[in-house]
Amino acid sequence: MNLKQPSLSVREKISKIDLSDFRKYTVMFVLVVLMALFSLTSEYFLTWRNLTNIIMQNTYFIIVAVGLSFVMIGGGIDLSVGYQMSLVGVITAMMMVVNHFPVWLAVLLGILLGMVLGLINGLIVSSIRVFPLIATLATSIVFQGISYLISRANTFRDYPSEFLLLARGKLLGIPYDVVLTIIIAILASFVYYETVFGFRLIALGGNEEASRLAGINTRRMKIALYTICGFFTAIATMVMISKANTTNSSFGPGTEFIALTAAIVGGVSFMGGEGNIPSLVAGVLLLAVLGNGMQLAGWGTYAQFIVRGVILLGAVAFDEYQRNAKKQVKMKA
Amino acid sequence: MDTEYIVEMRGICKRFSGVQALNNVDLQLRRGEIMGLVGDNGAGKSTLMKILSGAYLADEGEIYIDGQKAHIHNPQDAFNLGVGMIYQDLALFNNLDVARNIFIGRELTRGPFKLLMDKKRMYKRAEEVIRDFRVDIKSPKMNVARMSGGQRQMVACARAIAFQSKVLIMDEPTAALGVTEANKLLGLIRNLKDVGLSILLITQRIPDILSIADRVFVLKGGQRQDIMEVSKVCLDDVVEMIVRGKDRGGNQTPEVEYKSFG
Repeated sequence: MNLKQPSLSVREKISKIDLSDFRKYTVMFVLVVLMALFSLTSEYFLTWRNLTNIIMQNTYFIIVAVGLSFVMIGGGIDLSVGYQMSLVGVITAMMMVVNHFPVWLAVLLGILLGMVLGLINGLIVSSIRVFPLIATLATSIVFQGISYLISRANTFRDYPSEFLLLARGKLLGIPYDVVLTIIIAILASFVYYETVFGFRLIALGGNEEASRLAGINTRRMKIALYTICGFFTAIATMVMISKANTTNSSFGPGTEFIALTAAIVGGVSFMGGEGNIPSLVAGVLLLAVLGNGMQLAGWGTYAQFIVRGVILLGAVAFDEYQRNAKKQVKMKA
Repeated sequence: MDTEYIVEMRGICKRFSGVQALNNVDLQLRRGEIMGLVGDNGAGKSTLMKILSGAYLADEGEIYIDGQKAHIHNPQDAFNLGVGMIYQDLALFNNLDVARNIFIGRELTRGPFKLLMDKKRMYKRAEEVIRDFRVDIKSPKMNVARMSGGQRQMVACARAIAFQSKVLIMDEPTAALGVTEANKLLGLIRNLKDVGLSILLITQRIPDILSIADRVFVLKGGQRQDIMEVSKVCLDDVVEMIVRGKDRGGNQTPEVEYKSFG
């Protein structure tokens, strides 16, 4: 096709570079730059202890972000993960502390509950065809209500020692929850790149109607994606309450914002169809390093909210900008 | 079963929230022919073809493929029966490359329970398809988002024919193409006929139909008007049938009673 190339504006020139790859490496580059900067502001920042702390404090955020990435890459969103954690957390804790269920049974039922909550989201989004943002906002309020009704605003603490092993036990010197997070990240990457399911979910996020016309059962796919998100959210909940050795209904909410921001910063498109796990993990760590570094530099917690909000806005704007630039080039071609 | 027709649609009816899009439409497609489907906007051409491709379900009517009654409930059913469709908007995935666009929904698999993608085989096969049909695409790893309209049309075409389809439906394939690209595509359609495909071609460009089709099927207001041998008609005949209908009743849609023909 020897079509004459039209002259390109700056916006189009940017779009000619494959920015999805660019962004994939950008987040890692920014992470390294941030670490270098914070190492100048605080001599404690670049110590082994601080760095391992950053990772250990963020394992459950990574797991939630991985779960959320399935929904987001598939073209949806789940704002209810925070209150799913709240509900799964109090019920699992009550089963262990109040009802004295064996740890394995309480964990199993907790994970099943997480999957059921995800399933409910999936059914609502795919059957009633409500916009996922609104649907999961609504279910998050419902989950919040149920969580407080069941817990009666009580706190449940002092879990059996087997359960605490999840956060305190070590394998070859590496904490179990870190090992679990690494396994989950590798597993998710494998699903995205090697399996038919992963391929189809990326396609679904790219063009839902075309997926349907290609013979993919999009409804079933969506239900599966929200259920998978619920599954990972429940696992993250286990890690979270095991670390804290306590929980109440206020544990969990807020996680959705960090996971969502990390996912978008890590290159998961807000519109679906794009994303990868290494960048997603880098996105979580970038926010964590930012928080830790700002804390050590004496900026306090409130300034972190401002910076996180600005980062989220910037990442979404960049995503949208790139999309529009691609469309314009395609129209000119 | 060796019948004259590879596709028969009988008494197809479809309503969309109170609007009768198709009313008792019969269509017969012969083996190895190119049939043009023409009609004004809203005549029901795309709806009829989407029923055949499984994108829509008919309210009434029957479909026969190769003389056997077909139960087409979704696009996968149609694909399994050898019916492929290229939609007007092409239904491509801008976030995927050429090979993945070709194989979506029909992935080549490996491993236990066929859960894993056989990417090596998929890219190799995509390369063969591109080469066999002399499609103007350099690599199956090219991202479709950055392709020209003609190249995107070729990808959609490759997807529809890569799996030994018997029937290919094309919805306005030349509508967004320039003259050169449209001519290339018409050449490709002729090649596909030569290799034995039966083709249903929806278009507003009547000269395209007259240059490559064997017969032309005219729809008006959701009803079949006529089916004409291209060798026996001229442009004016087809246009008149589109505008005035079978009974030459102007814009009024006549009550046509076709139960069978041939």
